[in-house]
Amino acid sequence: MRFRCERDGLVDALGAAGRAVASRGGSLPVLSGVRVELAGDRLSLIGSDLDLTIGVEVEVAGEADGVAVVPAKIASDLVRSLEAGAVEVHVEGDEAHIAAGRFQSSIRLLPADEFPRLPEPAPDAVTLAAKDFALALHQVVPAASADDARPILTGVLMAAEGDGLRFVATDSYRLAVRDLPGTSVLREGQSVLVPSRALRELERLLGAAGEVTLRLGERDATFEIARTRLTTRLIEGEFPNYRGLIPSTYPNRLTVGREALLDAARRVRLMAREATPVRLSMSADGLELVAITQDVGQAHEQLDAKYEGTELTVAFNPEYLLDGVEVTPGDEITVETVDHQKPAVIRSTEGSEFLYLLMPVRV
Amino acid sequence: MREHPPEPPGILHVDMDAFFVSVELLRRPELRGQPVVVGGTGDRGVVAAANYEARVYGVFSAMPSARARRLCPHAVFLPGDHHHYGEVSARIMAIFGTFTPLVEPLSLDEAFLDVRGSRRLLGTGPEIARSIRARVLDEEGLRCTVGVAANKFLAKLGSQAAKPSVSPKGVEPGEGVRVIPHGGELAFLHPLPVRALWGVGPATSRKLERLAVRTVGDLAALPLDAVVASLGEATGHHLHRLAHGIDSRPVVTDQRPKSIGHEETFARDHHRHDTLRRELVRLADATAARLRRHRAAGRTITIKVRFGDFRTITRSSTLPTAVSSGPSITRVAKELLDGVDPGQGVRLLGVSVSHLVIDTGRQLSFEDAVAAGWDDASAAVDQVRARFGDDAVVPAAVTGPAGLRIKRGGDQQWGPDANPPAEP
Repeated sequence: MRFRCERDGLVDALGAAGRAVASRGGSLPVLSGVRVELAGDRLSLIGSDLDLTIGVEVEVAGEADGVAVVPAKIASDLVRSLEAGAVEVHVEGDEAHIAAGRFQSSIRLLPADEFPRLPEPAPDAVTLAAKDFALALHQVVPAASADDARPILTGVLMAAEGDGLRFVATDSYRLAVRDLPGTSVLREGQSVLVPSRALRELERLLGAAGEVTLRLGERDATFEIARTRLTTRLIEGEFPNYRGLIPSTYPNRLTVGREALLDAARRVRLMAREATPVRLSMSADGLELVAITQDVGQAHEQLDAKYEGTELTVAFNPEYLLDGVEVTPGDEITVETVDHQKPAVIRSTEGSEFLYLLMPVRV
Repeated sequence: MREHPPEPPGILHVDMDAFFVSVELLRRPELRGQPVVVGGTGDRGVVAAANYEARVYGVFSAMPSARARRLCPHAVFLPGDHHHYGEVSARIMAIFGTFTPLVEPLSLDEAFLDVRGSRRLLGTGPEIARSIRARVLDEEGLRCTVGVAANKFLAKLGSQAAKPSVSPKGVEPGEGVRVIPHGGELAFLHPLPVRALWGVGPATSRKLERLAVRTVGDLAALPLDAVVASLGEATGHHLHRLAHGIDSRPVVTDQRPKSIGHEETFARDHHRHDTLRRELVRLADATAARLRRHRAAGRTITIKVRFGDFRTITRSSTLPTAVSSGPSITRVAKELLDGVDPGQGVRLLGVSVSHLVIDTGRQLSFEDAVAAGWDDASAAVDQVRARFGDDAVVPAAVTGPAGLRIKRGGDQQWGPDANPPAEP
C-alpha cells in the first residue's frame, strides 16, 4: 500500500475511526488498531471494539492498493503532530512508513488478518435531516443510565410511535421522551434499544452534517453521515414499561419562564451541596426555589409563575432538574405534580414533542 | 408545662460487673469465690480488673500488680485475654442491639442505650433494663448493672449506685437496676459528693471546697456567676448544668445499624415451603416496620435458614434501589427461599435488610413510584398499628387456624413456647 494525502484529512479520519477503538486492551489486541484499506484513490479506515464500529472514507492519491492495521493511538498522535501539507504513507512488510517534509517514521503494524469481520449494514435505509435527529439525541441521551450493572437502561429506546419515531431514555430517576413525527423508520410496533455510548459518538458526528441515513437491523443499527458510517450492536432485552410511569392526570400545574427558571436554579444550586436537593415551593404567589446545606449556607429566589393546584413543596436533585429544563424547547414550560413523592413532568407550553419525567428527592 | 404524668425514663447505662474477671471465671469455674485479678503479671504490670473478692482487700483497677500482690497475696493472678473479652463483648452488645438500635458502647463492658423508641414494643425503660440483665445472665452467664434515667449522666450515676458494694466485711450485692424517675433527679443527685460529677477531678474538687461545696446539692445552690467565676466559663456552665441534672447529650451509635431484621426459632422443624413462606411474610413484615420506624430503607435482602442439624445458610439478593415495605421485602425473600430445600427440616428462619440508607434526602426512583402503592399502604399500616396495636393490621398470610401470630421484637427471649401452634 502506498498513498499521498493532506495531513488535515488524515487526522480527521484517524480521529473519527479511533473513537471506536477498544480503550481497554480487550481480548483481541488487533482491536487497538485502525484498519486501513486502499482501493484506487479511496482510503477506508475502520475502528471497532465489536460493540461500536466507526468507518470513514477519504480521497487520497493512491499508488498501490493494500490493507494494514496501524496502532490507533500512536498513528493518530503522530499524524496530528505534523505540519499542514502533504503526508506520504507506504506499508512495507510489517511496518508503515509515514513521512512529511523532512520527518520520517515507521510504525510496527498489527496483524491485518486478525481484524474481525464486521457486520454488513441492513439494506433498508431511511434518510432524515441531521439537525432534527441531533436535537432529539441531545434531549434524550443524557437521561440514559451510565451504570453498566443495568445494561437495559444504558440504552436509548427508538420505537415506532404513530407516524413517527420516538426516543426514550431513563436512568430510573428521570425519563426523557422525544417524538419525531412524520418519520417512519420502523414498522409499527417495532423498536430497537441503542447503546447511549454509540449515540453520544453519533451526536459528535452529526454536528455539521445535513443528513443522516439510518439502517436498523435485527442486531445492529447503522448511521451514515456523508462518508462516515457508525454501526452499533443493539442491546437485547425488554425496555421498562415507561408509559405506566407517566401519570395520566396531574392536580397541580406550574407555568414558568424557562430562562428565568434556569437562571434561578443555577444560582440557587450553588447552595445545594453534598447531594442536598433544591426545593420548589409552589403556591398562588408563584414559585420559590430554596437550597439549604447545613454548615454551608442557604439561598432562595422568588419567581413569577402561574400556579393552579394546592400549595406544594417538592425537592429535586438540581442537576436532574436543570438537565430537563435545559433541553425543553420554547420560552415557557409547565411543571406538573401530584405530590412530593410522585414523578413530576416537565413540558413546553409550545408543543408536546418532548416530555421529561423526574422523581423527587424525599425530604 | 408538663401536664401528662411523665413516662418512665428511657436512657440506660449498662455496666458489666467485674467484666474481665467474670469472663475468666466462666472458663475457670474452680476459681469462683476466690480473689481473682486480671492484668499484667510482670513486675511493671497493672491490674486490668479485679473481682469483688479481691476488691475487699483494696485491690482496684489501674493499681500496679506488685502492689495488688502485697495487698492480697493469695489472689489468683491471670494474664488478660483481650481477644476473648472482645468476642464476649460483641455478643453482649448484640443483645443490647435487639432492644434498640441506639447503642453507644463506651468500652468493652459499658454502653448507653436509648430505648425510648422501643417502649411500645418491649416495655418501659425499667422493664427493658430488667430484661437486659436477665438475658445477659441467661445467654452469657454474666451479671451487669443498669441505671435508668432521663439522660446519660444520670443513668451512669444510677448504675454506679446499683453496683455491688465492697467493704472490709465482704461483698454486698447491689440492686442491679436503679431507676431515677422523672421528678426524682435532684433528690438522687444532690446528696452525692461533688466528685461524682463527670468532669470533677482533684483540681476542680479543691476549688469547690474553697466555696464550701461538698455535695452536688451545695453546687446546685450556688449562683451560676459564682461557679463560672471560680471554675471558668466552660467548666462552670458544664458543672452547673450537671448539678441541676441537665445533660442533653444524645445517645449516638458509633456506627449506624448495618442491618435490620428478625429471625425465629421454631418449636418444631418445618419441612414445607408453604409453611415457611407464611413465616417469611411475618418476619418480612416485622422487619419492614422496624426499618420504617428508623426511617431507613435497604437494598440487600438476606434470608437465614438453620436446619435441624444446626447447619446454617444465608442467601441474599441486592436490589437497584432501597426498599422499606413488607411486600417488597417478602417478594425478594420468597424468591431466595424457593432456592432452598427445606426437606430435612428447618429449625430457624430469619430475614434481614442491609445496605441501609436514611430514607430522607434519598433520590426516589421510578421503582419507588411503582411500589408507591405499597409505601402508602405501609405508612397507613404503621399509623393504624401505632393506634390500635400490632395485631390491628397484618398480612393475610399471618392468619392461621389459631388466630393471628405477629412477630415482635424481643419475642422468644426465652426460646419458643412449649405449646406452639400446630404446623398446618
